[in-house]
Amino acid sequence: MILTRNRLGLFRFVLYGHAVLVMAFLLLPIIFIALLSFGSSRWMMFPPPEWTLRWYEELATDPRWAEAMWLSLRLALIVTVLSVLLGGAAAFALVRGRFAGRRVLKAFFVAPMIVPVVIVAIALYAFSLKVGLNGTFAGFVAGHLIIAVPFSVICISNSLRGFDPALEQAAAICGAGRLETLRRVTIPSIAPGLLAAAVFSFLASWDEVVVSIFMASPQLQTLPVRMWTSLRSDLTPVIAAASTLLVLASLILMALLGLSATRAGRSKMQ
Amino acid sequence: MNAAATSGTFREARAAWPAIAFLFVFFALPVGALMLRSVTDPQWGLQNFSDLLATGTYARVLFNTFLVAAVVTLMSLLIGYPLAWLLVMLPARWQQVLLAILLMSMWTSLLARTYAWLVLLQKTGVINRILLSVGVIDAPLPLVNNLTGVVIGMTYIMLPFVVLPLRATLATLDPALMHAGAVCGASPWRLFRSVLLPLSLPGIGAAGLMVFVMSLGYYVTPALLGGTGNMMLAELIAQTVQSFLNWGLGAAAALVLLCATLALYALHMRYLDEDA
Amino acid sequence: MKMDTPLPAVRLMDLHKRYGDFAAVDGVSLDVRKGEFLTFLGSSGSGKTTTLNMIAGFDDPTSGQILLNGGAVTGLPPQKRNIGMVFQRYTLFPHMTVAENVGFPLSVRRLSKDEVNSRVLDALRLVQLDRFAGRRPSQLSGGQQQRVALARALVYEPQLLLMDEPLGALDKKLREEIQIEIRKLHHRLGVTILYVTHDQEEALRMSDRIAVFEHGRIVQVGSGEDLYHCPATAFVAGFIGNSNFLRGSVAERRSDAAIVKLGENSAVCVPVDAVGGVGSEVRIMIRPEEIKLSHALSDAAGAVIPVTVRERIFLGDTISYEVATRDGQSVLVREDRARNQGRCVGPGTDAYMHIAINQNRVYKKY
Repeated sequence: MILTRNRLGLFRFVLYGHAVLVMAFLLLPIIFIALLSFGSSRWMMFPPPEWTLRWYEELATDPRWAEAMWLSLRLALIVTVLSVLLGGAAAFALVRGRFAGRRVLKAFFVAPMIVPVVIVAIALYAFSLKVGLNGTFAGFVAGHLIIAVPFSVICISNSLRGFDPALEQAAAICGAGRLETLRRVTIPSIAPGLLAAAVFSFLASWDEVVVSIFMASPQLQTLPVRMWTSLRSDLTPVIAAASTLLVLASLILMALLGLSATRAGRSKMQ
Repeated sequence: MNAAATSGTFREARAAWPAIAFLFVFFALPVGALMLRSVTDPQWGLQNFSDLLATGTYARVLFNTFLVAAVVTLMSLLIGYPLAWLLVMLPARWQQVLLAILLMSMWTSLLARTYAWLVLLQKTGVINRILLSVGVIDAPLPLVNNLTGVVIGMTYIMLPFVVLPLRATLATLDPALMHAGAVCGASPWRLFRSVLLPLSLPGIGAAGLMVFVMSLGYYVTPALLGGTGNMMLAELIAQTVQSFLNWGLGAAAALVLLCATLALYALHMRYLDEDA
Repeated sequence: MKMDTPLPAVRLMDLHKRYGDFAAVDGVSLDVRKGEFLTFLGSSGSGKTTTLNMIAGFDDPTSGQILLNGGAVTGLPPQKRNIGMVFQRYTLFPHMTVAENVGFPLSVRRLSKDEVNSRVLDALRLVQLDRFAGRRPSQLSGGQQQRVALARALVYEPQLLLMDEPLGALDKKLREEIQIEIRKLHHRLGVTILYVTHDQEEALRMSDRIAVFEHGRIVQVGSGEDLYHCPATAFVAGFIGNSNFLRGSVAERRSDAAIVKLGENSAVCVPVDAVGGVGSEVRIMIRPEEIKLSHALSDAAGAVIPVTVRERIFLGDTISYEVATRDGQSVLVREDRARNQGRCVGPGTDAYMHIAINQNRVYKKY
């Protein structure tokens, strides 16, 4: 009865109203920032007196912002590739291997997700100071990779678990070598998992703040670090423009993921 | 296990080595070294921990951290439970729409969302201006740069982490159980109290612990929305190391945070195991 | 209605339930007597469960009335109907012990602790599970869980007990055991039981009366014997027991009887009002055990049809044959081994099939 919507009587409207409010709570701040990024008021008046692209122009032309964006993009792409490679191999070992301590290894791979990121950040900061990684591109890659690899391991493990290894044996019987089997049978079968791993790795790097703050130097700053430092001085609408870009990237990637999930779901049904 | 699976054992395990090596060098080793510094820096001993407990500031930060985490957990459960409950009753189409919004919110830039709240909550922000023009208040409310701001922002960020696991728990319940209860003569309120709520407890426990653990170590949102007077633990650790260069004390605070996190996480896993 | 007729325990009056264009229940009217064991029999989607859910109050009828003990219950929520119900899945509360599950309806009714305890014990004794009072449902077998559900449904002595395919999840042996147990309980307690099943054997074994559902309607209500011997429609005939349908066409209509041709060279006499005009199709239902096979023509009453034996299967107490008529219709025959003794009709041989035409089993359409 109370798990059946139309038997709840008037109370269901209370639940509907609550859901609408929560959805508004979740969506409105994002929409609000996107709107403000097009407003002309430097003091973020709402509703804006006029509409303008000024802040986006500043974002693209001010070298400090433009370089930060460029660094973030390069970083996210490299981290994505490395994360899928490392995480994919690790997931393969976790799912296919039958060795003692597999549970411990799995816990080790997801540990960076559980350990508070501020601890990861200052630990890596101390380490980087010793080996001279601080303020270098390689240091950023290492830091973001720590955050991204657990997502890859989880996504690809889930996908591999749903893939029958007998298909690989079948390919081998058909005469395919190990590499060819991997390329033509295994990888296409776990493509949705690989895509998810790539998307989450990209977003993990693209959005990363805490590790980056400690890794950054005045010369080398990612977009979130740049936002963070200017946030501490003032609330300039350029930050709203940068935020909108970050949100847009997440939206596009999540939509891509959703699309591939529905396509996979549909082909499974057929 | 069949023979084919066992024969491939070690060859397949080798694929894990690059990830193990990487995480060992850049994650396990640095974290371990940092933890060690809590008892070696500046000299061997438990000096850092007694400093941590003796100084009023640190004790207050610890208290603040646990208080905020508890309030955020409670708020997100109170807001999230009715939503999760509704979610399992909605037709599949609407479920998908709401889930898409939740997931999108969860994966949208944390910094951008926190920034949005900073703008919304400030003295001249939209929320204060609306409240003023409606006449509910006479002077702007201090909604940001204090614990209120932290709680609002963190609840906002934690909501999806409560709703998604709660929904998973509620979805496993058989609606026929509620039919059985109703036939037995239980009123809807009694059904909720005696059947639905007790059966959701494992989900509430798991989701609540998860959010509590995450809240304890949160850095970005408290640092931006909180005030300088009432820091949280993560911010304190960062500041002690970065501004005061007191590595020993920072490491000691980090060790406290890490232990609390791991202990609560272990409890969380126990919950999940019992559930399964 | 006579004055001394007691009020029916349940009266359904022209009940309809529509989901959009689909009529799940399409005009059901029925009286269930007090103390009766009545079964709703039908395949899935026939409307039997929807009807039961409306009686329980989980669903509101689109139109029509439900009376319990003479009082209308439309709009009354389930918790106010004082009905007991056993579900297909056991639906015991997993977080409560067996005793707490059975005591739940009593504590909801605010009975004293002592009263609850003693009645729970009584109810558990009734289903022979008093030793398991402290266990959790998950520690019991499927059959035990369903007996706990039964105890929970009976403990508050409801006027009416609804059972929605309660044995569907159990294996055959256990099912038969609990069927007998439920039957005994019914005799002992005199409670009115409405039972839903798609299993005709279960329906025959347990019920005083059976209501056969098809496409949201009740096509026939009667005792098992009524339904078996005088099925109202070909559907009922096909649903209950094994049956053969012989195809034929009306060759001649007289004032007292009609002649139906079965194949090329055999014909039978049937009541004239059971068939259509000359040339129209007819189905005649014959139970497998009502057919006799022999090598010789006998002068017994009824029709004689020449057949070829295709297969003979020995089943212990009976022997089953599959035979074919000259125009290729396949017919199932079952003979007692005792009756069959001495005669051996082997596969491939020609024989005669002796049938008695029951006038109630001639149908215009299938």
